[in-house]
Amino acid sequence: MVRLVFLGKFGEMAPADLAEVSLPGEVRTLSDLQAWVAEKAPLLARAMAATRTRLVLNQEVVHDLSRAVASGDEVAFLPPMSGG
Amino acid sequence: MPGTGLQVRIVTEAFDPQTEAAAFCAGRDDAGALVTFCGYCRSANKGEAVAELRLDQYEGFTEKEITRITQDVAARFSCPDLLVIHRVGVIRPGEAIVLVAALGTHRANAFEAVKVLMDYLKTDAPLWKKETGPSGARWIEPRAEDYARRQQVDKPEAGAA
Repeated sequence: MVRLVFLGKFGEMAPADLAEVSLPGEVRTLSDLQAWVAEKAPLLARAMAATRTRLVLNQEVVHDLSRAVASGDEVAFLPPMSGG
Repeated sequence: MPGTGLQVRIVTEAFDPQTEAAAFCAGRDDAGALVTFCGYCRSANKGEAVAELRLDQYEGFTEKEITRITQDVAARFSCPDLLVIHRVGVIRPGEAIVLVAALGTHRANAFEAVKVLMDYLKTDAPLWKKETGPSGARWIEPRAEDYARRQQVDKPEAGAA
């Protein structure tokens, strides 16, 4: 199982059943995962495409979306951040 | 030593910036400068009333990232005594959102550290802000000027990131 975390506005668009997912064998990388999520949740996919989306794998920012994702991982999808 | 070193706290309850700043520099008679910045929730934004602001964090990651940013700024300005308190959850107008404080031997580095740290927090702190007013709720994202300030304070070698 892979834990998916959707932050900010993405959290409001993500279906609840995407919180904990069992990925099909062909989903091997973060890029595959993003495409798989987009297929499951078109509204979320549109929002992610329209803004700068960052991915965080096991609490570390990832720039290389060819990184592998495996059972036990936590992947977070971050819309633009705004502190202060 | 109390009030010394780098401190980052994510808090869910209202805090008093004056009390926190006083505690941060208590007993530090070696320091010649205390610079503080406090950001508050406003009662109106762009002419529209604000009932409340909600800040979401990514548990664990938010504190880790803000600590990393604060460490970078501390090293860059040789200002090891830095305090960041950031509120999350529901915040009402008049309440403090963020407190940044720097303690230094002299004022120059302390001023710079606080300014640059705030510029980074605006765009790089993993927090998400939602504002609720009479016409509903909306997510707040950094303005173009926030990104521009962030770009300005960025080190040249990190500019491509």
